[in-house]
Amino acid sequence: MNGWILGATLALGAGIGAALWGVATGPLRRRVVAQNMSTALACPALLLLSQGYTRPSYVDLALVLALLGPVGTLVFARLLADELADDPPRAWGVTWVVAGFGAAVVGVLCVATGPSRALVKLLVVGALLIGGNVVASRALSGGFRGVRRG
Amino acid sequence: MNPRTTLLTLAEALAWWIALAALWLVLISTVDTLERVVGASAAAVAAVAATAARRVVTAR
Repeated sequence: MNGWILGATLALGAGIGAALWGVATGPLRRRVVAQNMSTALACPALLLLSQGYTRPSYVDLALVLALLGPVGTLVFARLLADELADDPPRAWGVTWVVAGFGAAVVGVLCVATGPSRALVKLLVVGALLIGGNVVASRALSGGFRGVRRG
Repeated sequence: MNPRTTLLTLAEALAWWIALAALWLVLISTVDTLERVVGASAAAVAAVAATAARRVVTAR
């Protein structure tokens, strides 16, 4: 157990625990936001685990999750568009807190990695993570009304 | 399609190829000749697809 794995454990335990609780309980608008946040929290945890176990190839898991997580949320936003239109989620506070957490994790890992190709890869993952989740949150809150019905 | 638009399309495909090949080089673990060849080929296919897809979207 080192500091990286401890951080990953905290992110998984507290973050994913809270996200699971949010997905399993409450109104629909809270469930979709929690679903979106779960991938945004799991991705930094995977990055921390990769650093903790010194296995750079584990970063690929975080990359795939950063790419597919927001895509999954966009599918939900499309399927639940009618239900969400009556009661749209407004979760920008949570979105930016989780995005800040992701940015902090990527920043710390970049410092630990040092200038190399791995650093650029981390920055790509971070950009996909934060950009994807901001776009997905905007889609959930009805930000893309022009494409709502496809 | 006149010469000007052909040139613009080629330039766009080239820009896509450069960006996608650079992305490939960043994401792989070890850089060797085989990876460079595969990356350049995959980036070429993806660049053609991206250019075509963007033309479809902007023409809509």
